[in-house]
Amino acid sequence: MGIQEEYRKEAASLLSSGEVKLVIGFGPGTTADRRRAQFARTAEEAEKLVLDQNCIANLTTYLVAGGLLSDGKKVAIFLKPDAIRSLNILISESQVKPEQVVIFGYAIENGEVKELPGRSIGDFANLGEKLRTATPPPSVQQEAEKLEAMSPAERFEYWQDQFSKCIKCYACRQACPMCYCRRCIVDVNQPQWVSTSSHTLGNFEWNIVRAFHLAGRCAACGACDRACPVNIPLRLINYRMGKEVKEAFDYYAGESSDQKPVLASFNQDDPETFIL
Amino acid sequence: MSESFEPKIVAFVCTYCTYAGADLAGTSRLKYAPNVRIVRLPCTGRISPMFILKALQKGADSVLVSGCHPGDCHFAAGNYHARRRWTVFRALLAFTGIPEERIHFSWVSAAEGAKFADLINDITEKTRKIGPFTQYQELQKVIETQSSY
Amino acid sequence: MTRILLKNKLDDCIAAWQKAGYSVLAPVQRHDMSSFDEVQKGADMALDLILPERTIKDQFFPQTEPLIKYNISKKEIASETMTPPEKKRVFFGVRPCDASGLAIDDPLFGWDYKDDYWFKRRENSVIVSIACTEADDFCMCTSVKLSPDSTKGSDVMLRPLANSNGWQVEAVSDRGTALLESVSSLLEESSDEAAPVPEVAPKFDVEKVMEWLGDKENFESQFWKDISVRCIGCGSCTFLCPTCHCFDIQDEGDTYQGIRRKNWDSCSFALFTMHTSGHNPRNAQSTRWRQRIMHKFNYYRDKFGVNSCSGCGRCTRQCPVDMGITETLQAITNLPR
Repeated sequence: MGIQEEYRKEAASLLSSGEVKLVIGFGPGTTADRRRAQFARTAEEAEKLVLDQNCIANLTTYLVAGGLLSDGKKVAIFLKPDAIRSLNILISESQVKPEQVVIFGYAIENGEVKELPGRSIGDFANLGEKLRTATPPPSVQQEAEKLEAMSPAERFEYWQDQFSKCIKCYACRQACPMCYCRRCIVDVNQPQWVSTSSHTLGNFEWNIVRAFHLAGRCAACGACDRACPVNIPLRLINYRMGKEVKEAFDYYAGESSDQKPVLASFNQDDPETFIL
Repeated sequence: MSESFEPKIVAFVCTYCTYAGADLAGTSRLKYAPNVRIVRLPCTGRISPMFILKALQKGADSVLVSGCHPGDCHFAAGNYHARRRWTVFRALLAFTGIPEERIHFSWVSAAEGAKFADLINDITEKTRKIGPFTQYQELQKVIETQSSY
Repeated sequence: MTRILLKNKLDDCIAAWQKAGYSVLAPVQRHDMSSFDEVQKGADMALDLILPERTIKDQFFPQTEPLIKYNISKKEIASETMTPPEKKRVFFGVRPCDASGLAIDDPLFGWDYKDDYWFKRRENSVIVSIACTEADDFCMCTSVKLSPDSTKGSDVMLRPLANSNGWQVEAVSDRGTALLESVSSLLEESSDEAAPVPEVAPKFDVEKVMEWLGDKENFESQFWKDISVRCIGCGSCTFLCPTCHCFDIQDEGDTYQGIRRKNWDSCSFALFTMHTSGHNPRNAQSTRWRQRIMHKFNYYRDKFGVNSCSGCGRCTRQCPVDMGITETLQAITNLPR
């Protein structure tokens, strides 16, 4: 039995037994290579869930949207390693209770879907170690290195071109599981810290603030990058922030669900190479 | 005769160390460049990166953020948190092309009046040499003009 | 015999229009995105795209537009209305769905008062559309009673020749006729055939949809909750839609000076209907999704006699979670009656 069939059966039985109220998985999309988030509430619906190499979206966003888990009931969800990282981060920030989430873990390697054994977040503890030593996609690293090799003026021009495209749709924010603030800073208008207008300066402010608020909290799932309708390479900024916290504080977000958030903690001997 | 460029420096400082240090510089009659505008916060831990961005947007050519030495924070740990925040924020600004030489961080204690004066003089001169922060200010000008079409 | 424009005359065409005082804008691929921007020659244009990612709505209704500059001093409050320059522009290579979007929005911008920001730009622009020869899985112009060669909203319609050497040229409006006059020496008579227009099978039954939406009983249907459960509430669909037109007025400035701006807004945002009291009549994403569909296929139709949709399919093409209106309208079409 393939992993899709196995998980369908188990999801169906979790629903029929009432152990979970909902299974969040994938279903077919508009085109052959697209997959949609699919919400199964009955065993019948669970039997239609799809799991293949096109299931790349990070579904943890739905765990923190619209108060889904506020009734204390359990939810099952299909998660890849980067989404498991997201879940770890959400748990470490007290946004999700670990006992409410049943995980159907899977990994996509060489175009094939493999099972990741375990059903509760604790079962994936050793995954953290594996993820830590895994390098980010070489393409992202190369692109970031190309940027770092430029002069500040060239970098500014690059980002000016990219950010001038931003239309403030906030797809990046909405797709990101870590952007769960009830009132985002950009929606605060007393005072209006971040401009809502999509002129280049306002776009710079928005994207810098968002990158900063994600520093040390980003699971590198790529949801924001894929969501952006105007193709701003958000993966580069978030990658650079991840790199900084790793190098400066030896911190890798989402390794485990009891990590202390990196910017809410400190070490007395943190580096301070730039202090005058 | 053209006016020489007078840099605008905004300094976000903590009350109990750097502000007191600046005060000491004053009472000791130490001369330092009048280009600095000091904004006093209770602690560097309170300083949000938004302040730095806003200062640059509103016309600052350089920003200084200064607080108590590690271990001496009046609120015990505020400057430790600030230090982590600055490490990350500085990397972010550099990556997006906002030059590192525009943002400065320092520890200045209440007894270091001379250090404060020297620091301000130093930053003012360095900023005078590199010139006004036109990149951001040009973006600001664009906002204030009508649409191009 | 019809008039045609050969591709090798395109550069001369652009030059002639520029000489007549027009800027020429066309689909371009710049900074990893396709949109409309100024071009100097035919080689700059990206005419092979099915559809550019950005619409031409942006060119008539910018994402952010300064309206009034104000200055408060001890003596007075000074304000200056900021009006756009009346730039003459030719839009070349517009798809019929994008062009129809402009025509669909015209009644709205002239509804309770005449929005000069929109109309001055409309009056100074000429829309030269190119009929489609290809469609993708997201196109749905025929579902909303338009087509890959609809002339709605266009001033000139170009049909690609089957031999790919150029386009058949048809003036649709007086403005179009006048524009073609300025380049009449570059056009020639030909019996070359136009390439066939693609078959775009309708994806939903818009009459059935409008009927279902018009039935007040369906307003509170569970359908809305079920169909919208994966919507994440961003503004992608709204901002990339050729017909969406909601905006927010924002004052940007400080105590003494600032600029009042008109910025795009989206009914998908949670705060769109947030009242100052803290009450939000559309607190759930399902109510916001319902509003989107009702507005486009019911309220707008009641008011202006036309659906607020041009069938371009961008809402689904660009949606981060593969939603968009097609899925919802297909589901409504298939609901048991």
